[in-house]
Amino acid sequence: MSSIKEKFNQISPSEFFYSNRDLAGFSNPTRSLYTAVREFVENALDACDQKGILPDVHLIIKAVDPDKPDPKPYILTVKDNGPGIDAEHIPLAFGTVLYGSKFGLKQARGMFGLGATMAILYGQITTNKPVTVKSSADGKIQNLFEILLDIQKNKPVIVKHTTKEVARKGLSVSICLEGDYSKAGNKIRDYVYETSLITPYASITFDDPKGQKFSHPRFVKNIPPPPTIIRPHPHGIDVERIRRMIVESQFEIPTIDDAMIEKVRKDLGLSVKKLSFTSIMEKAKKKWKNLPRQVRVVIALMSFLKMDFEKLNKIKIEDIDMPNKKLFYWDFGDSQSKSVDIDPESMYYKQLTNTVQGEPLTTFLTKRFQRVGPTTAVKFAAFAKLKPEKRMGTLTNQELVNLSDALQKFEDFMAPDSSCLAPLGAEPLEKGIKKFFNPDFVAVVQRPASAYSGFPFIIEMGIAYGGDIKTGGPHVYRYANRIPLLYDEGSDVVIKVVNDTDWGRYKIKGEPPFIIVSHICSTRIPYKTAGKENVADRQEIERELRLALQFLSRKLSSFMSKRGQAEMAKKRANLYAKYIPMIAEFCTELSGKKKEPNYKKMLQTEIESENKKAIKEENEIENN
Amino acid sequence: MKLKITKKEQEKKIKSRSKKADDKQKLILEILKTHGAKIYDDLDNGQFPKFSIPSRSVGNIVYDKQLRQYILGNNAALRSSRNSAQLRSFTQLMWLAFFANRLTTERKSSTLRDVYYSSQAFAVEFEDQSESDNIIVDLEAVTSRAREDFHIFPEERSSIFGDLNIEYTIPGYEGKTMNLANHPDGYSIGPSLTTAELVSTSAEIVIAIEKGGLFTRFVEEQVDKKFKSIILNTGGQAPRSTRTLLKRLHDEMKLPVICLTDGDVYGEHIAMVIKSGSANAAHLRELTVPDAKWVGVWATDIEKYKLPTIPMTESDIKRCYDLQKDPRYQDGIWKKELDVFLKLKRKAELEAFSKYGLTNITDKYLPQKLELAKSL
Repeated sequence: MSSIKEKFNQISPSEFFYSNRDLAGFSNPTRSLYTAVREFVENALDACDQKGILPDVHLIIKAVDPDKPDPKPYILTVKDNGPGIDAEHIPLAFGTVLYGSKFGLKQARGMFGLGATMAILYGQITTNKPVTVKSSADGKIQNLFEILLDIQKNKPVIVKHTTKEVARKGLSVSICLEGDYSKAGNKIRDYVYETSLITPYASITFDDPKGQKFSHPRFVKNIPPPPTIIRPHPHGIDVERIRRMIVESQFEIPTIDDAMIEKVRKDLGLSVKKLSFTSIMEKAKKKWKNLPRQVRVVIALMSFLKMDFEKLNKIKIEDIDMPNKKLFYWDFGDSQSKSVDIDPESMYYKQLTNTVQGEPLTTFLTKRFQRVGPTTAVKFAAFAKLKPEKRMGTLTNQELVNLSDALQKFEDFMAPDSSCLAPLGAEPLEKGIKKFFNPDFVAVVQRPASAYSGFPFIIEMGIAYGGDIKTGGPHVYRYANRIPLLYDEGSDVVIKVVNDTDWGRYKIKGEPPFIIVSHICSTRIPYKTAGKENVADRQEIERELRLALQFLSRKLSSFMSKRGQAEMAKKRANLYAKYIPMIAEFCTELSGKKKEPNYKKMLQTEIESENKKAIKEENEIENN
Repeated sequence: MKLKITKKEQEKKIKSRSKKADDKQKLILEILKTHGAKIYDDLDNGQFPKFSIPSRSVGNIVYDKQLRQYILGNNAALRSSRNSAQLRSFTQLMWLAFFANRLTTERKSSTLRDVYYSSQAFAVEFEDQSESDNIIVDLEAVTSRAREDFHIFPEERSSIFGDLNIEYTIPGYEGKTMNLANHPDGYSIGPSLTTAELVSTSAEIVIAIEKGGLFTRFVEEQVDKKFKSIILNTGGQAPRSTRTLLKRLHDEMKLPVICLTDGDVYGEHIAMVIKSGSANAAHLRELTVPDAKWVGVWATDIEKYKLPTIPMTESDIKRCYDLQKDPRYQDGIWKKELDVFLKLKRKAELEAFSKYGLTNITDKYLPQKLELAKSL
């Protein structure tokens, strides 16, 4: 028996991740180095984004012993100019798993700040060195911590803590970990490069172990508006979530003890004076707006019981039977159960029902969900075959399931609020593509917000052709929440959509110099794996991607045909210049003439007219 | 038969013959000049030159019952040098006409392959020989003259043997005569033979035979002497120059032409092309011998002579069905034999007679067929 009991021992989150580190992208020295870079850089960018700071991020990777062959220990340091972390939070933030500030419904690169701790954990496992954190949250004092993780207890062990004066805010995290830069180098450089394309407002530098420096200065000065935390969309909800929301909206009948009575007195400003029931009610009426919920409930109860505090002290509420409008209580004085009627006309009736049975359906919808108005709520109630005034607390399990179904199916809800999303914006995206590829043609689009399973998302996409772009396209740059996705591209929904496209239809043939930049922003990216490298083919996302790509492809197609026409005109001019003189030569001998025909003027006019056409088409391309 | 001709008479004859050749040359040059002048005038008037060319698309190839051959219908396409898609081929055709003009003027012959390479000296590119071959067909279509008239010959050669006296007209050989029974391997039918004058013959018939092996056997067995014949090896499908020669033998020497082919659908069609031409050459006349006769090997001969056979392939059978739709296979022996081939689904080669001895074909089969030909 005892051995079975042991198997059911709980393990700490640290221990769980320690034994399942593959899940988080720490499967081997190559991948681990890459993932660690990603986690720290993304945390730095997220921190700056949230405070509206233009990020300066420095990534430094140094080999502990450069002469050793790979894989070997590396020191990875990421510095930022973000808000820093208060000294008191540092040990927990860097020394425990599942401690983070990113829980909540808005878009961020990382979900829970989990990855960074995993990287620290991985570093500790492979090199047995602590993480070094330097943080200044006020721009004056910098706290330096060296922290180890107690894996079994999921607790930080502070090895060293010092402070010094500094001139600026920011965070620097440094870990020592086993890595393989010779293999991971390409991906890390690509990652830094592609990150700077989707984060044009950030300056990112990278000092690599071989002494090379990569610098990507910002070329956009405006930070996109930060996302806000929002209420859920009805389409993104399940039964469990509704149940929790109902619990949040319901309140228990407060126990009326001395402390509670004291609180009510205080809130009504009656601390000393002894007041009659009527005057208490009058006072309450005046102060009603400023009273906390619990106090309101007590007042409501008192109004039906018609008792002052003294009397209230001698009873205990037993039950509130809303359907029969009766209030039952135990009278300690008489030692018996009594009841009073609840008058539905009373102004306190509503207060009591809300407390006992939860909000009416329509209130629940308008208050708890984003972008649901009273009219829509009433319409929805009809659709769900529920009364608009139905109390949420009185729903049976079956009714809950039906409600959840109906929420999914009702089509008149407004599209999800995208204010929780932080797309880059068409203009910076276009600027980035132009700077990176110097293309002959570029088009970008930001699709309106849509939702899959109630999670809002926005697709941003750009397409570019020619210029510095390599042939052999389309080359696809995939991003999700401003993170470049570099691995596992085969199974990604973006690649699927691109591969499904018949480029011939858009006049794009052969091995074109042609790129596609795709950015999916969502409060939750449906990654296929925990490694966060490929996006699953959710129908709604696929559809939006398709629409975006079609829109851009049509623009590219019209560019190609204009360019085609310009090229044709040029080609015609060249062909005339080449062949007409030959025809003249041959027919002169053939017809037995001595002198060539007088064709030069005609040819010149024709060539000039074709060249003019070419210039006209090219100008149209420029103007588009 | 001995002919006594005085030297003077001979000179006169030679003169008249070379005059005939001169006339033809003049005619061809005139045709080329006319076309060239039109292009020249267009350019001189400040216009993009253009010309029209009979369409060679399938829809414009029709069978002419009176001529007993395929001809082109009335559809024509306009080729304009203003059209950038046509400009290149326009120039190529102009060059070819220019080149043909030089060949004809200088009486030099060339091959299809020569043309392909010669073009490169004039910066006229052809992607490959098939492109230049195609332009040559264009020139034929525009002028309604066969490429041989412009001194352009195909590479494939068939051969001829028998008592036929010819007189060359090509430069350096003018007036030189030759008897085509002098060399037992036969004479290759090339530009010199095609352009030569046909002087005299003792033969009474031309036997066109599909295969080189049988041609040699016929020479060995002296079929030429035994049956007073000229033997001609078509080497499979007869090349145009060979068909032109067959026509001249028939028209100028008044010799009947019979065809002896393998006993299969392709053999039957070799005979048909000699008789009435091919759809590919629908733009040309003067290539057919409408009176030519196919004497075998027939499908009905397979059983009659108990020939060893091989089964028809898928493509043989498909070809049978294709030919059944051809207007020339709608009656007579052509239809009958085609139907029997389809029924048998087997075929026999000319060599099949060797089962009964190497000379069986010349001793037994040929005499019977020659006899039969008279009644066909």
